[in-house]
Amino acid sequence: MKTLAGIRPGRFTIGLVIIAVPLTLALLGPLLAGEPGPRAPSFTLGGGHWLGTDFVGRDVWQQVLLGGRSVVLVALAATTLAYLVALPLGLISALTHRTWLEELLMRPLDVLLAVPSLLLILLVAAVFSPGAVGLSLLVAVVNIPDAARMVRAAAAEAASRPAVEALRMQGETWWRMAVGYVGRSIARTLAADAGVRLTGVLYLVATAAFLGVGVAPDASDWAVMVDRNRTGLFVQPWAVVVPALLIVALTMGSNLLFDAALEKPHRRKGNGCERGR
Amino acid sequence: MIGPRSWVARRLLLGVAQTAAVVLLVFSLTEALPGDAAVALAGDQPDPERIAAIREAMHLDRPAYERLADWASGLLHGDFGTSLASGRPVSSYIADGFGPTVLLAVLTMVLLVPAGVGLGVLAAGHEGRFVDRLVSSVTLGVYAVPEFAFGVLLVTVFALRLGWLPPTAVGYGTDLLDHPAALVLPVLVLLSRPVCSLARLVRAGMIDALASPYVAQARRYGISGFRIRYAHALPNAIAPCAQQLARTVDWLLCGVIVVEALYVIPGLGTVLINAVAERDVPVVQGLAVVFGLTAVVLNLGADLVVHRLAPRAGVAA
Repeated sequence: MKTLAGIRPGRFTIGLVIIAVPLTLALLGPLLAGEPGPRAPSFTLGGGHWLGTDFVGRDVWQQVLLGGRSVVLVALAATTLAYLVALPLGLISALTHRTWLEELLMRPLDVLLAVPSLLLILLVAAVFSPGAVGLSLLVAVVNIPDAARMVRAAAAEAASRPAVEALRMQGETWWRMAVGYVGRSIARTLAADAGVRLTGVLYLVATAAFLGVGVAPDASDWAVMVDRNRTGLFVQPWAVVVPALLIVALTMGSNLLFDAALEKPHRRKGNGCERGR
Repeated sequence: MIGPRSWVARRLLLGVAQTAAVVLLVFSLTEALPGDAAVALAGDQPDPERIAAIREAMHLDRPAYERLADWASGLLHGDFGTSLASGRPVSSYIADGFGPTVLLAVLTMVLLVPAGVGLGVLAAGHEGRFVDRLVSSVTLGVYAVPEFAFGVLLVTVFALRLGWLPPTAVGYGTDLLDHPAALVLPVLVLLSRPVCSLARLVRAGMIDALASPYVAQARRYGISGFRIRYAHALPNAIAPCAQQLARTVDWLLCGVIVVEALYVIPGLGTVLINAVAERDVPVVQGLAVVFGLTAVVLNLGADLVVHRLAPRAGVAA
């Protein structure tokens, strides 16, 4: 782990420790899970099952091992997708001198910003019953307006510098200006925003899965486990508590980690309003 | 130069555009259905009778623009169409779920501001010391946690282990005010994310304000620390943060849906989730319009208030 200047070691370490367990389980769990055993009666404790059995009698520990991958992968895919669209949109509208083009690109996004993110996801789910791919697309779409605005705001500042004017006068290509100069100079801001956004996306993906969007009703997914095993909470709390704790650790840890890792070295204490969804 | 009046006009115009966008978006849902909408919605029970009933209820035999015009003018009169599942008017679903949801929202808003501002001021007053580090870390950690995971853990601790509070609102009907114990956990969960965000913003604003020249000058005049903190620094700390309150609206609307599902509260969120599960499109559309327009109006209100409080802060419009 590279130590960047200006990191508060305390928060960074805490974040790392908190996120280590769920992330390890999510990435390595499916390799360790092995073959599913025979089904036992639902919501039982003991009987060779370390954490008991779930609502259809599967081993909870095995479900825990299997259930992290979908949350993490869908969240990563959605964040990447959102930036694949938002980055060109923001760069083009920041670098163009044509007002109508900028308006055309950014105005529709302003209009979309007002629609609550979960509502949009539920609306589409009512009609299409999306799978994991559909869910990552949806979450990406929900994040595009805000991400594009952020990219544009950061790029507009960089694009107004004399250096860009000089590049323009030298007849450099748009690509060289947008990616080579503006893109590079906003990289740090982008990284900070991507960290915050990934945390928000994790939240949204887990919440959507809890509400049954983008997952099968008996999927091996931490959020689905919390939802489906709730009926047996009083009989067999582990089937709910363990996945819930893992989701809490995942989101909490990623937020603490990104906040510590991406803190600007010269930033004054307590400066700046953080953003997030 | 853009004067204040034209800014307000532009913001109002954006609000109108957003309203139109929400209505169009929600309406386009039926158009997006693959193939014959009635057949697609019949789903598991594709008998001709049911398909005909759906076609009848949603007027699918008429062109889209006519249906849009009808539906939109119906919305203006409070007519949201009829449910596919039960045949009841959608407005009766909305009327049923309205009470519990508004109660949750009002309670949360009433508690949100004092709790968030209080925590922020507390942390700023102890800047860099243990209390501040504790409040900052906890608020930073908690504000990313999904409500359902947090809520289920609270149920485990307070209902299952300690037995202090009921685990859900099952059996209390819509009359939740008579059972305040059933409201404690839902409101607590609903508050968790917005309070953290507000506390962090207030803390940052307070620290900036307390380091400013006018506070130093006030100190030189010998004005009491209490007055400096609450009469001078706090209002200036809150104004720029109010801008972020609009974001909280989004969180609250999402949170209400999750919290109602988690604690089985018969509000609008539960109605929406049930309708989504049953693919009862008219009900989903009606509720989506209610939720969407609430968000648009609250965003608009928040922006206008911020503009009044802190004209310097550039609000997008």
